[in-house]
Amino acid sequence: MHELSMAQGIINAVLETAEANNATEVNEVTVEVGRLAMINPEQLEFILGVLIENTIMEDAKIVFEEIPAEIECNDCKFHGEAILDDSDHYAPLVKCPECDSLSVETLNGKDIVVKNIVIEKPDDA
Amino acid sequence: MHQVADVEVAKNIMDANKRLADKNLKNLEEKDIFCVDFVGAIGSGKTTLVEEIIDNTDYKIGVLAGDVISKFDAGRIEKHNVPVVGLNTGKECHLDAHLVGHGLEDLPLDDLDMVIIENVGNLICPVDFDLGSHLRIVVVSVTEGDDTVEKHPIIFQTSDVVVINKVDLADAVGADADKMVADAKKLNPNVKVIKSSLKQGIGLDEIIQVIEEAMN
Repeated sequence: MHELSMAQGIINAVLETAEANNATEVNEVTVEVGRLAMINPEQLEFILGVLIENTIMEDAKIVFEEIPAEIECNDCKFHGEAILDDSDHYAPLVKCPECDSLSVETLNGKDIVVKNIVIEKPDDA
Repeated sequence: MHQVADVEVAKNIMDANKRLADKNLKNLEEKDIFCVDFVGAIGSGKTTLVEEIIDNTDYKIGVLAGDVISKFDAGRIEKHNVPVVGLNTGKECHLDAHLVGHGLEDLPLDDLDMVIIENVGNLICPVDFDLGSHLRIVVVSVTEGDDTVEKHPIIFQTSDVVVINKVDLADAVGADADKMVADAKKLNPNVKVIKSSLKQGIGLDEIIQVIEEAMN
């Protein structure tokens, strides 16, 4: 539901890096989306498409990579990828795969990270 | 001529908020202030809980009242003679650490020992935005329907305390408050769950006690 501010953050990060590298155009942007971030990639893509009009990333292909949820279990101390039970929810329940506990610390899988961009730039830049 | 280059960005969009949240917490701890933030849906009873805590404790409290566009909550709390800053998010559905940081600048922190942050009415978006508080309390009322807890698992998994409010109205709206308690416990086995009816003064002592336990 806060895709607008996320999209603006992504665009700022992309344009900052593109300009620092003298890009004339951005061809591709890869964004890692944590499975537990309260973001719907489809909505994010839609709003990105609106906001990038008339920028050098206007024609960029946006690639989303899903990052799994990494946890440590408070009960059995398991450390690794969680089971995500999304049978009833888009936002899943985070469970320990070893003991089924829901009492877990989430170590990874909540973030939105702009990973890399593919740019075009002049030969002499 | 052009060349194509693959450039690493590695920028975490959530990091900026996390850094500011850590800064808010440090700022509060330097002044020995305890900070609690209330999240919950529209009409769940967050503002009433803020008012009751102000009126029934001796803490020197300052309040950051989040609202999308209005100042009504800030106006209500002001009547209790405490410093309050209204934070309007405008287009956004949640408070973030940046807004809270500016709000703290406008509170007389040297004269306070507790800051209460009341988030925008929403059970979804605030999950992604740490504000820098010590304790997060989610307020949910039986009138929202007794499936509200199970429908919004992450906010209940990431909060420290769950308040099930308006239990006196449960029968009238056909809601099972104990189901909501059980759902919260299932989602977050370590969470403290308190049933309340703030308008009737039920459950308030227990909520204040939980806040005080977290302070010590």
